[in-house]
Amino acid sequence: MDPPLVNDSSFSAANPSSYTLSEIWPFPVNDAVRSGLRLAVNPGRNFTRSVLVEHPGNKDVSAAEESTVTDLTAGWGGRKTRDLNSEDDSSKMVSSSSSGNELKESGGDKKRKMCGSESGNGEGSVRPEGETSSGGGSKANEQKNKPEPPKDYIHVRARRGQATDRHSLAERARREKISEKMTALQDIIPGCNKIIGKALVLDEIINYIQSLQRQVEFLSMKLEVVNSSAATGVFPSGDLGTLPIDVHRNIYEQQEANEPRGSHPEWLHMQVDGNFNRST
Amino acid sequence: MASQDKSINTDVPEKDVFALHFLQSLSNLKTQNPSNSPDKTNDRVKKIKMAAYVSMARAAGGRRLWSRALLRRAASENNKIVRFPRRKRRVTWLSRRRCNRRAPVEEKAADRLRDLVPGGGEMETSKLMKETAHYIKCLSMQVKVMQCLVDGLSPK
Repeated sequence: MDPPLVNDSSFSAANPSSYTLSEIWPFPVNDAVRSGLRLAVNPGRNFTRSVLVEHPGNKDVSAAEESTVTDLTAGWGGRKTRDLNSEDDSSKMVSSSSSGNELKESGGDKKRKMCGSESGNGEGSVRPEGETSSGGGSKANEQKNKPEPPKDYIHVRARRGQATDRHSLAERARREKISEKMTALQDIIPGCNKIIGKALVLDEIINYIQSLQRQVEFLSMKLEVVNSSAATGVFPSGDLGTLPIDVHRNIYEQQEANEPRGSHPEWLHMQVDGNFNRST
Repeated sequence: MASQDKSINTDVPEKDVFALHFLQSLSNLKTQNPSNSPDKTNDRVKKIKMAAYVSMARAAGGRRLWSRALLRRAASENNKIVRFPRRKRRVTWLSRRRCNRRAPVEEKAADRLRDLVPGGGEMETSKLMKETAHYIKCLSMQVKVMQCLVDGLSPK
């Protein structure tokens, strides 16, 4: 409780806009009481604004630290990409506070976890603010003054950069392609439209292919019987024209029923030839 | 004759080409091994099945990966003497996937799909989906045509 009061007084003396900080500092105290996620979200937003307003000279420090922090957060950002796959690309271009807020919320979860692991003393309320970027052990003294705000600002930047990471972009494009092809596959397979979930759809596809292949095997067995038992005149030349009429008609009828073709004079010719051959 | 230039949805596998090739190979089989030859029934069934797949691949044309893989496999089975004792190990998507164990469920299912679709081990996943769609179309066409042949040719 003591360090917040000191900071509050110092900032109010320094800047007129320090009322944000005076709003902020009760929240970590409440955070120590573990009142909720909202309280973990709000300080971050206020911190970013206060940093932008109050410490223009601090930007070079933040820019200097930015690379290191992006490296740090890229490690667990890569783990996050799977969870963010449904998220569209809106968050990578937007630098406004909206993306910052929703990113803060996910960060707030982590903060609360840290709060849960620590005991509820006064420093525990301060440390979770900066624990994502650094261990927080070395800067215990500086944490009382300013260092959390720049880190939160950097934190937002890093999370934004994670969305534009080329690997995650490529991964997202790949997933979109796959799901697009998967829907096309679903349209092909009968009765597959109602299935939800990629794994189930793939199972259905696999079952369908297996059933088709088994069918082909069965039909080839049948054909073997037909081929061996039939008279020698059934397949004399391997030409379509020499087929029996009903087979011929079956094939053609199915074709016309399934995909009506506009003009195929060649086909008509062959069909006429076949019928003629058969009738003579 | 076959229209491979169109995209996946409008591409219609050619029944006529398949039926032509299949009947030709059937008649070849019949002239090569007449029914009193010492070939077993299983061998003949296998040959007919292989002929069906090869003619399906021919009907699909040479632009599809699965058809090329089927033709390659058929060619390697035809002259077994030339075949290598151990298949040359390619760096395939399948083996690469199996290297990292932390694959999601869909990837495992996609691996099973890779085992089914000929030549699927070398495909990237979206390509695999595309090829699978075409393969399924051709397979259903093949089943229909063979059913027609069986129905029409079987003695009444």
